[in-house]
Amino acid sequence: MTMEFLNLKMPMVRGGSHAKAGTDPHSPDRRIEQIVFAVALIVLVAALPSLNIGYRFLSIAITTGYTAIALYGLGLQFGQAGIMSVGHAAMLGIGAYTAAMLSNHLGIGFWAALPASIVLAAIAGGLVGLPSLRVSGQHYIIITFCFCALLVICLTNGGSFTGAATGLDVGSIPRVLGINFDKLFNYYYLVLGALAITLATTYAIMNSSYGRTLRAIRENEQLARAIGINVDMHKIGVFMASGAFAGLAGILQVYYLRHISPTLYGAFPSLYLALMVMLGGGRLLYGPLIGAIIVNFLPEVMDLNPVDSRIAYGVALLIVILLLPGGVSSGLLAIYRWVGGLLVRRGSKAGS
Amino acid sequence: MAALEINGLRKAFGGVIALGGVDLSIPDDRITGVVGPNGSGKTTLFNVITGVYPPTGGSITWHGEDISGRAPHQIARKGLVRTFQQAMSFPGLPVKENVQIALERGGRQLRGGEPRWHSPEELLDFVGLGGRGNDDAGSMPFGNLRRLGVAVALAANPVLLLLDEPAAGLSDGEASMLADLIIKLPGMGIGVCLIDHHMTFMTALCQRLIVLDFGTKIADGTTQSVLTDPKVMEVYLGGEL
Amino acid sequence: MEILIQQLVNSLSVASVTILIGMGITLIFGLAGIVNFAHGEFLMIGGIATWFFVGMGLNFFVALVLAMVVVGALGFVAERGLFRFTLDRPMNGFIMSIGLSVILQHVVVRVFDEFQKSTPDPLNTVWVVGDVHIIAMRAVVVAITAVVVAITYFGISRSRYGLALRASVADQSTAELMGIPVRRYVTGVFVYGSILAGLGGALMIGLFPITPFVGSVIITRGFVVSLMGGLGNVNGAVLAGLVLGLVDGFSAGYGYPEWTDAYSLVIMIVILVVRPQGLLGGTLGPKAS
Repeated sequence: MTMEFLNLKMPMVRGGSHAKAGTDPHSPDRRIEQIVFAVALIVLVAALPSLNIGYRFLSIAITTGYTAIALYGLGLQFGQAGIMSVGHAAMLGIGAYTAAMLSNHLGIGFWAALPASIVLAAIAGGLVGLPSLRVSGQHYIIITFCFCALLVICLTNGGSFTGAATGLDVGSIPRVLGINFDKLFNYYYLVLGALAITLATTYAIMNSSYGRTLRAIRENEQLARAIGINVDMHKIGVFMASGAFAGLAGILQVYYLRHISPTLYGAFPSLYLALMVMLGGGRLLYGPLIGAIIVNFLPEVMDLNPVDSRIAYGVALLIVILLLPGGVSSGLLAIYRWVGGLLVRRGSKAGS
Repeated sequence: MAALEINGLRKAFGGVIALGGVDLSIPDDRITGVVGPNGSGKTTLFNVITGVYPPTGGSITWHGEDISGRAPHQIARKGLVRTFQQAMSFPGLPVKENVQIALERGGRQLRGGEPRWHSPEELLDFVGLGGRGNDDAGSMPFGNLRRLGVAVALAANPVLLLLDEPAAGLSDGEASMLADLIIKLPGMGIGVCLIDHHMTFMTALCQRLIVLDFGTKIADGTTQSVLTDPKVMEVYLGGEL
Repeated sequence: MEILIQQLVNSLSVASVTILIGMGITLIFGLAGIVNFAHGEFLMIGGIATWFFVGMGLNFFVALVLAMVVVGALGFVAERGLFRFTLDRPMNGFIMSIGLSVILQHVVVRVFDEFQKSTPDPLNTVWVVGDVHIIAMRAVVVAITAVVVAITYFGISRSRYGLALRASVADQSTAELMGIPVRRYVTGVFVYGSILAGLGGALMIGLFPITPFVGSVIITRGFVVSLMGGLGNVNGAVLAGLVLGLVDGFSAGYGYPEWTDAYSLVIMIVILVVRPQGLLGGTLGPKAS
């Protein structure tokens, strides 16, 4: 009974920032609020290493950073266009293996491989997206899962070309302007820079007519076609964008870990990516980042072993889907607005 | 020659013939009504014209260009925009964004012309939804949802607007308010073709009626002549009017 | 010739497990409209429960029945506690089932450990017919599966229950108007499919050792079988399970075993794109109304 009651409330929570009265993201005061928040966040995060937080914390932060970049891709495709994938790690894998193979077979380093990783992952994203033009819903999710499993089989059976089950190694990133990326601090700032670009791009897409078009496709494909939107083209487009983000994340991952193997990109990592995006919420700007932070830092903060933390993620996912389908981010936003509303009412009472 | 010319249009689903060779010409400067009992092929006609289904046979010509078998979005971009009986809005989005999406899309069809509506608010005022811009489309009452459906279609910049049972589910008051809205459209350069059962609604709006029965046209003419046609009274109105 | 017959029996016993999992998925996906990604874990838990009860000194076949009860109860709890709240949002149900599969795997790892587990051969008998040596347990697995398939087939296609069930797939609201308790039927199908997974797991551990992670491998084959056979189509699942089991059994002997899983994945993608309701005719799942 309680559950059904909460289910009824879903649409309100689900809509997130673009669905509630008085929360128009385009109004000037909202925009200023958002920018102030983003700047504060960047300053805080950029200042973290100087607080002497230790290498362990920093390495988790790096993992969180590149995972979040990949999640922003999934966030666009799921949160905006409404198409979930449980094979997103495969896109990450395309980016990572492109970089590793270019390095091992052709001696091409990080900076030259960067665009190649992004472009190839984008193309792979578009190809995996093709069946979505015919198949939707649960059937399409199963297809993404199959593609991911297929990639792992191909990488494992690829002999010396892909390094087979043991995988491939890469060297360090060449210095730029004397910056040594072997230092964890500098790698942290590299990932942070990439994350900032990702966030800015996502913000621009979400608030553009392109973002609105994607949401139209999510909400009502038939009506979108009837008003002249080329639904098929935009679907492939969003899959390519999603793949591009994952490709960027993949190359950052391989040069951080220095060694990759097929299991990093299989079914399980894909499921965790889907889990993180659901947990954080795909529709709001900070949702994927929140999902990545929770999943990567939770075991550390709560001192959980890997087995317990996985159980905890799973339980958290069930709770989020049943009670908070917009993810933790929409819950936080609702609390923020509620507190804000309370303060405004208190203030106006005091003023009168 | 009228804007939309349909010749010998046929559509079969497996063995079921939904349209059995229909000839129609629909102008884009007035209001034309299509009536007929349930299952007479009215909605199928709209679906085939707007590219939801490819026709089994026959041709559809829009301003001299054959558009049969084109994708729905291509047909919409040529100015043939429709509404749906059920799928009227983008339910999870605010009302304003619903209209804005279509305005942005429709704006691209303007060939040097001035847009009819410059902002979502202006169009929402026109359909009587002023001040509702921030509401969640999915949580609106049914009557407002119908208006929003019309607003979204208008925003897409139609030359001929195809309305699929716009008054279904509305009260008499709501229906007459909607009729007041529709009747203004030809004066603004938007032709209308509408399907409905609601006879008072149709006779108030349409100078011309087309009657379909079992996928064929059985009458076509001025509203008065059609309403007094004995064949129409027989099949559609059960012999009494 | 002898080798061929032995290989046939071996392949059939492997195919039996595949058929049981595929039948469960085809019923739950096709008739109840739920994609339960944790179905493979239900099978794994059936196997682990059997191992646990045998370890407590119970007879294998008693343990098997208990494992079916355990997994059936798990299915009941999962359906009533989780999936019934997402029936109108099947995508959410699907994602939730992924979470459930992660939970179940790691709970088993937590309670026991991550290593593979096996039971001693329950029958410990080899039948010798001429020159053919057949491990008795494998033949028993095939026989049990055949009986279960027959029961399921008649239950779905001949009984009043099955008729009402198919009516509710075709048109849920009309079925409700006719007084069919659609909700309870969904639960029933889900629990029955879960019991089949429990049986599959028990039989599987009677044949080979399993790990807590076997579910993610077996789920793919289950989807292939249910899609090849047509969703909701029991005969189709049996036929597809046989074909897949035999292809697997023989390709392991003669083909490229490292690509075996790739075949089924490619088959599945092609079927989903070309005929989403499955090869042999089935449903697209009940329409949420």
